[in-house]
Amino acid sequence: MNLSGIAVSVSPRNYDETVTRLEELSGVEVHYQDPASARIVLVQEAESVDAEVAGLKQIKAIPGVVVAELVYHYFADDPNLDDPDPNEFDEASGISKSVLQRLNPN
Amino acid sequence: MSITRREFLKSNIAAVTATTVGIPVSQVVNAAEAEQDWQWDKSVCRFCGTGCGIMVATKNGRIVATKGDPDAPVNKGLNCIKGYFLGKIQYGKDRLTKPLMRMTDGQFDKKGNFQVVSWERAFDEMEKQFRKAYGEKGPHGVSIFGSGQYTIQEGYAAAKLMKAGFRSNNIDPNARHCMASAVVGFIQTFGIDEPAGNYDDIEYTDTAVLWGANMAEMHPILWARASDRKLSHDKMKIVNLTTYSNMCSDISDVEIIFKPNTDLAIQNYIAREIIKRDAVDHDFVKKHCVFATGPYDIGYGMRGTDKFAYAAEKDTQAKERKVTLDAAEAIAQRRKPGEVVKQGNTKKPVKHWMIGFEDFKKGVEPYTLDFVAELAKGDPDESLASFKKKLKQLADLYIEKDRKVVSFWTMGFNQHQRGSWVNEQCYANHLLLGKQSKPGDGAFSLTGQPSACGTAREVGTFAHRLPADMVVMNPKHRARSEKLWKLPAKTLNPKVGSHYTKLMRDLEDGKVKWAWIQVCNPFQNTANANHWITAAREMDNFIVCSEAYPGISAKVADLILPVAMIYEKWGMYGNAERRTQAWREQVAPPGDARTDVWTLLEFSKRFKLKDVWGEKKIPGLKSKGFKEGKLPDVLADAGKMGYSPEDSLYKVLFENDFTKQYKWPDAIAKGHANSTVEDLGVDWFVEKGLFEEYAQFGRGHQHDLAQFDVYYDDKVRGLKWPVIDGKETQWRFNERWDPYCKAGSGFDFYGPALKALPSGDLDGVKNKNKTKLAGKAKIFFRPYAAPVEQPDTNYDMWMTTGRVLEHWHSGTMTRRVEELHRAVPAAQIFMNPDDADKRGLARNDLAWVESRRGKIKARIETQGRNRMPKGTIFVPWFDEGVFINKVTLDATCPMSKETDFKKCAVKVYKV
Repeated sequence: MNLSGIAVSVSPRNYDETVTRLEELSGVEVHYQDPASARIVLVQEAESVDAEVAGLKQIKAIPGVVVAELVYHYFADDPNLDDPDPNEFDEASGISKSVLQRLNPN
Repeated sequence: MSITRREFLKSNIAAVTATTVGIPVSQVVNAAEAEQDWQWDKSVCRFCGTGCGIMVATKNGRIVATKGDPDAPVNKGLNCIKGYFLGKIQYGKDRLTKPLMRMTDGQFDKKGNFQVVSWERAFDEMEKQFRKAYGEKGPHGVSIFGSGQYTIQEGYAAAKLMKAGFRSNNIDPNARHCMASAVVGFIQTFGIDEPAGNYDDIEYTDTAVLWGANMAEMHPILWARASDRKLSHDKMKIVNLTTYSNMCSDISDVEIIFKPNTDLAIQNYIAREIIKRDAVDHDFVKKHCVFATGPYDIGYGMRGTDKFAYAAEKDTQAKERKVTLDAAEAIAQRRKPGEVVKQGNTKKPVKHWMIGFEDFKKGVEPYTLDFVAELAKGDPDESLASFKKKLKQLADLYIEKDRKVVSFWTMGFNQHQRGSWVNEQCYANHLLLGKQSKPGDGAFSLTGQPSACGTAREVGTFAHRLPADMVVMNPKHRARSEKLWKLPAKTLNPKVGSHYTKLMRDLEDGKVKWAWIQVCNPFQNTANANHWITAAREMDNFIVCSEAYPGISAKVADLILPVAMIYEKWGMYGNAERRTQAWREQVAPPGDARTDVWTLLEFSKRFKLKDVWGEKKIPGLKSKGFKEGKLPDVLADAGKMGYSPEDSLYKVLFENDFTKQYKWPDAIAKGHANSTVEDLGVDWFVEKGLFEEYAQFGRGHQHDLAQFDVYYDDKVRGLKWPVIDGKETQWRFNERWDPYCKAGSGFDFYGPALKALPSGDLDGVKNKNKTKLAGKAKIFFRPYAAPVEQPDTNYDMWMTTGRVLEHWHSGTMTRRVEELHRAVPAAQIFMNPDDADKRGLARNDLAWVESRRGKIKARIETQGRNRMPKGTIFVPWFDEGVFINKVTLDATCPMSKETDFKKCAVKVYKV
């Protein structure tokens, strides 16, 4: 599971409308709003960081969003971060088999 | 993870994010509880030249979280998407953890497959092959491909080993491909390298003009600051000058799509308008500037011979010797169309002389709105009237009284056959208007790499440079360096080494036979790559590649050394606003990976003074006080200094009395480990010793750095040099901020380089007597010059290359992060839908892109973030599966030797 904190600046003209649209996105929570500075804080939860990036792109694509940048990234429980696959590890050479395959294609 | 812990983490993340952007947080969140057992430490981002501060959290020897550093003035807590994944780049599944060498039957074999070897075996072969090349070819038969991603200490150790130890100037960084033209612009104009201003200019200015800088994708955090300025300051205008429509256009007030190279003409149009409208700040110009120009017939930085060219390349290659002027060039250079101009100044492209204001005026006179609009309009679908209106708006913004203007650029200017000229022109217009070196006013060169400034430029890991803006050609600079490095006189080699692209050409023609690649990927990042890959694999040479992941250069190499990545070592970087920043080692390198500093120092142990300080041959060396083609034997003088011929380079250069005074362990480590120290088995703080030795070069010489420990202070988030009496310098050359300015000067362009000039007119030198120009900046006149290769009936489109937001350079690191890889998995051919239609191509079709030099295949994209005008395609270069540098042209700016990756002629057809 991945969690990210996202700071969003929106165009003051469409402030309310933009907040509503952000609230409608799945996996996204609006935690703080500051109409005076037209800034919003979102927390996004996603199964994979892949989904997280797609989510950020969705946020950036909303009309009225001027800037959406990431602030905080928590990924300690990301299963993709495991050490090299033990089945793939070549004991004799002490290196992952895929590395040698990549380097020695023939 | 339990729901409560998840909710807890979320509240904490939200509160941290809110605090970062200045939103008041009512709810008190106990961060300590949410982040229990984590250790946070300040650090710097690994990627672009912006230099964002990143907080890194570790737990049990792993990085578990990262966040933008709210106290970092650069990014004020924000991260872009690359920085966001910084914690993950070290954990790719194909990380290199053991030395690998090409072997057959237990012996090194250039045609063999890679096998795991010990470090000892790796160094044995490296040494054997080094001695063979060094013995046969001399110091310039060996080379290092260095980097703008070197830490300061890595670059310093590499440059010192090569220049002081091996007496070779054949070390050059990939930064050559990135900002060499910017350097020439700085040295020529101000006599000293690097920007006058800083990022705070964004919050002070009324206008940001982007010249070939896609900030939204390449410098997203600076773009966030510019966007914020636009939202909060009504007067703020943004102009985007580019050869295709990109993400910056989304919030720009004016978008100007121009044809390749015509930025030279647009700059001159602005200069002409400044003069016509009597907007010159005469007082500023008279007091602080002079006018200058140089020769036009300087070639295109290609080889002087076509001996190595493919048949198809020969027509482009021939233009290195003579050029037939086209109609626009003829007007722009006050000559006749069709005139054949022999390129007589390819060897001395940087020479220049003083001219008068009237000469300058005469030079820009042909650049009328009509002429420039006709020449420069880059979108065939735009009307001339609309384009003219935009050019006029651009000039209006520059000229408007009391309007502050910052010009930003990166690769659009720098990777340019006349890159040094267009840099100079940008300063020229700011200087004419007196809008330079003031808060919110100035021409600001952004850099692409994290330490292109801090290491490549300031340390001097270029073929011609020494630390602190000194150069190997200057006898006084060599003498000062020899004194600081405690070397006998004439140890340093006065002959400039080969620049990055020339190192490749040297491999091809057999001049260089041993190369060590450090912190870069030269076989993917150098234009016209088919030549260099063949040279590396087929010629008699030995290539070592220090790498973290198996990229193209590792695959091309003979020996791969596994190295530590950013948070697995101690390091310092210097960003584009002169800010030097430092971090501690956070986690241990995996497996047998070692720090680059360790590899350099360990290799130096294998050589004795008698191996390197005897008489050495340097083909082509001609310098006062040196025998032609020879470096003298300095062993006798070394003996007088107390050195023995049996002393190792390690003892003389690295573990000496100066560096050893900095002891390890050190309190500033706060318990963090140091792999370099542990693997060397020493009791001195290697990175601190190297830094303090290096810092002596700049202190008192306009490049003052603070003490090492200051950068590790909890309250410090980097400092902008020169740092005088503990205070950083915000705006250089402006007396109010810069202590180096003479009292009462107001402005003092005190850079010492190239400050005595002969004088003449636009056509040449008329008076050889040199005038001294202390304290002055130069306003250059430079004409428009057409690109050396242009679309024709056979290769009928422009092709340009560059980066995309999600990937860093050749993708060796970012493509390891699955998520970034999946976000943009393969490079596409961005193309105008009508162009695609004309060729029977639809979106997602596979197509060939072919030039005179090579071809690649990729999928067509007619939508998305880059919208191409008819006649131009864009293909990013991060993807080794779409090896676009097989297609690009290795023409360079003849002054800076930086490759023009932005323009060549191609054809596109269906697979």
